[in-house]
Amino acid sequence: MKLAVVALLMVCVVSAVGQPIVIGITQIVDHPALNAVRDGVIAVLSEAGYVEGENVRYILANAQGDFSVAIAIAQNFQDQRVGLVIAIATPTSQAAVQVFQGTAVPVVFAAVTDPVGAGLTLYPNVTGASDLIDVAGDLALLQTLIPGLRRVGIVYNPGEVNSAILTKMAQEVAAGMGLTIVTAPAEHSAAVLPAAQSLVGRVDAIYATTDNTVATALEAVVQVATAARIPFLMADPTSLERGALVCTGFDYWDHGRLAGEIVVRLLEGAVPEEIPVAYQKGTQVWLNLDIAQAMGFAFPQAVLDQATGIFVGGRRFVAGE
Amino acid sequence: MSIVMAAVEQGLIYGLMALGVYISFRILSFPDLSVDGTFPLGAAVGATLIVAGWNPYAALGVAFAAGAVGGAFTGVLATKFRIQGLLAGVLTMIMLYSLNLRIMGRPNLPLLGRPSVFRLAAQWGGIPMAWANFAVAASLALGAILLLHLLFRTEIGLALRATGDNPGMVRAYGTSPEGMVILGLALANGLVALSGALAAQHGGFADVGLGVGTIVAGLASVIVGEILLRPRSILWALGAVLAGSCLYRGAILVALRYGSAVGFTASDLRLLTALVVLGALVAPAWRLRQEGAG
Repeated sequence: MKLAVVALLMVCVVSAVGQPIVIGITQIVDHPALNAVRDGVIAVLSEAGYVEGENVRYILANAQGDFSVAIAIAQNFQDQRVGLVIAIATPTSQAAVQVFQGTAVPVVFAAVTDPVGAGLTLYPNVTGASDLIDVAGDLALLQTLIPGLRRVGIVYNPGEVNSAILTKMAQEVAAGMGLTIVTAPAEHSAAVLPAAQSLVGRVDAIYATTDNTVATALEAVVQVATAARIPFLMADPTSLERGALVCTGFDYWDHGRLAGEIVVRLLEGAVPEEIPVAYQKGTQVWLNLDIAQAMGFAFPQAVLDQATGIFVGGRRFVAGE
Repeated sequence: MSIVMAAVEQGLIYGLMALGVYISFRILSFPDLSVDGTFPLGAAVGATLIVAGWNPYAALGVAFAAGAVGGAFTGVLATKFRIQGLLAGVLTMIMLYSLNLRIMGRPNLPLLGRPSVFRLAAQWGGIPMAWANFAVAASLALGAILLLHLLFRTEIGLALRATGDNPGMVRAYGTSPEGMVILGLALANGLVALSGALAAQHGGFADVGLGVGTIVAGLASVIVGEILLRPRSILWALGAVLAGSCLYRGAILVALRYGSAVGFTASDLRLLTALVVLGALVAPAWRLRQEGAG
């Protein structure tokens, strides 16, 4: 209740004085997906009438991979008296929450796979959007694509919290689906190629989740998978042009929009306490027919029919076009 | 909180790490890269113990011990197995990456809402968190340089200091320089791990990625401190390391705070940090020259 009053007061003061509301956006690294989240948030806000330079001012900050800087960024936001914080990815969100816990400043996180496990759901001034993907759905899709599928290889960075959680989830659901998961750890982008190579001859399909390390070195996996004729599914739609056979998941710009909608509600007087964590919906399925042809792989008609779109002749087509 | 206070608070927390780097690089003349592994090791051990219900101070102590074991391991590789110092440190660093994952059982362990030395101090003293953060960081860092100062005056301490300068002399006094390298690296990495554990409690989480950039920040702090304060005694030298660390953290905060006002974007942060540090180093010399000319 106290928070509600404070939040309301804050919004009133801001609009009454005509001062722009200051929003701090912190992200852990420059990464296409994370940048897309940031741009998606800003897009929703400007559609809702919060225009940069008029009634809102953004402070954009990027820790450039240095975790100690993530704390410094949050402290700087506090020092600059931001009215709201948008934190992109798990460690930056934890740093923002650590600094802003117990204050009336709302913290909205995005691109966090497991907000509960990350300790972000314990505070009244914190809410946000989770980018948890449908791991069981991806494995089921692979089963449809490859009759007699037994072993699925997962290339992942065990040091990435999102990836570690999703890989563990895959291992948990695989048993019930009659599948065996073979993991290939890659602790940095240069280790992705040997990791993918280690799977050749041992798996019927290769799967990668929302792993930033794999995303960086995606071409390495594509090269190995295509040469060995192993179907490769990546849970990221932007990987389609880069040569993954199947791409699922969602657009991170859409994810940014989901978080942005929460921000708009807060700016219009809602309190973070009343807004539950939003989980990203709307999984897409993209099929790369160019790669399929190169591999001599044929998609079942049922999968073609339900796909969001295809990539053929070097171009992306949305279904129905 | 003002920039100065935030810079000093973070500078002292990471200054414990810089003190460790000072011991290995300056006192032992040993290019120890294990710190990129022992810093997150301290965070991992400390955070795991706190989640298991340990007292946060006890967790800091165990983190120090874990870092000391890591440093001693590098020392043993370098002296007993005659592996080049750089490689010995690298080996320890990459081993610790996997070990840290095992210790935490996951890549990231949140400490949000858990007890910390900072929170305990705030409760005990009835003071706001900002002051508690500052007080804890200051007492640990100043306590550390005082203890180091006392240590370096003992016979073992003098032997440690001689090891980097003149190992032959150490041998002549009947002490083994190899043993001193192992002991010194244990002490150095104990401090680094202590700093990591403290940083995790301060930041609210431990993460295997926490080690990125540790050695760079440590070396920058040591050298900046030396250039600015030109210390002549060991106590001053230790103080200069802390000052250098505060200045390095201050540079990051200044870059974050004023970078956009002068046309820099978020992705220029590292460039800007380096420029601020450079400015702090060059400005006094430049002013002296101006005065000399005038």
